[in-house]
Amino acid sequence: MSGEGERQERRRRLLQLASAAVFLAIVGVAVLIVVNQSQTSGGDSKLEDVGLVRSQLDGIPQNGMVLGDPKAKVRLVEFGDLQCSVCKAFSEEIVPAVIDSKVRSGEAKIEFRNYTIISEESIPAGAAAIAAGEQGGGWSFIELFYRNQGAEASGYVTDDFLTAIARGAGVPDIAKWNKARRSKLTLGLVRRTTEEAKRLGFTGTPSFAVEGPRTSGLETLGTPGSAGEIEDAIDAAS
Amino acid sequence: MKASAEGTLRMVATFIAAFGVGVAVYITIADSGGGSPVCLAGGRGCETVADSTYSHLLGVNIAVFGILGYALLLAAALLRGDTARMAGFCLSLVGFGYSVYLTYLELFKIEAVCQWCVASAVLMTLLFGLNAVRMVRFVGKPA
Repeated sequence: MSGEGERQERRRRLLQLASAAVFLAIVGVAVLIVVNQSQTSGGDSKLEDVGLVRSQLDGIPQNGMVLGDPKAKVRLVEFGDLQCSVCKAFSEEIVPAVIDSKVRSGEAKIEFRNYTIISEESIPAGAAAIAAGEQGGGWSFIELFYRNQGAEASGYVTDDFLTAIARGAGVPDIAKWNKARRSKLTLGLVRRTTEEAKRLGFTGTPSFAVEGPRTSGLETLGTPGSAGEIEDAIDAAS
Repeated sequence: MKASAEGTLRMVATFIAAFGVGVAVYITIADSGGGSPVCLAGGRGCETVADSTYSHLLGVNIAVFGILGYALLLAAALLRGDTARMAGFCLSLVGFGYSVYLTYLELFKIEAVCQWCVASAVLMTLLFGLNAVRMVRFVGKPA
């Protein structure tokens, strides 16, 4: 083969290689996008009960991690772990009745404090809730998290999951929320309330405490068995 | 004549790749220490994108990979021969493909557009175009 022929052959092979590279690149980008779509399919559109949570909390003030009228005389404190399945059951079966009977009326306010006991993933989850609270969506975040909760310590508490919850909870500034949830201040707060729960003698979640005009500081309730028990404790404290 | 045409392509690619290094270095420096690039036209797009989970790959800011990519493209533009032509083409192809993916993320996932990312995507698209032309017209031919 002549020198010119060899060059032509080499050129033909290199161009074939380049064509293959283009094909691979197109496939690669398509795969990246498809994989990304499937990974984030737990996003806003797949969240459950967004509308339910909105209607449940509609019209009730949210300040930080407190739900209800800030001037309410009685403060009910829930120490919970967002990964805890019993907390989820409370959130769905007991807390809504208390919200309707005592919080919506302005008799009491409920404050959520993190008591992280399930796994390390509970810490960023709790911090994300606090960061949502800074933008007026703390309780929306908590309620929506519980309704989309996965198996305990199964690794579902990813950045994508938390972001989807924050968006579903109506957090207006996701960039600000991202900074806040990763800050030492917020993460430190999660640890401090966990220590506080231990000091109060709580050994599981959810645990409740109440504070009002007729209590001497924060009085522990443990884990009440019904909404009625909580309502009675609020009445006794007011 | 053809050699000089390739020389022109290489010269333009050199300038664009150098500019790309500058853009990627700026994004990296701005992002370090928890900051974010400043969108010159205002808005919070750059901050939103920088704070998103997609801004890092394996814990490293993707702008760092950008610096590396543009630096290699700069080297490919400065060098002669088929190896440099192929390397320039393949690198710019990867960069262009990843830019397409990042633009998709900005528009449909992060829902924010960062001007610096757009600038980088435009530069990478130009580099891909130049390297594709260099490849198709000159590969297998004397440098």
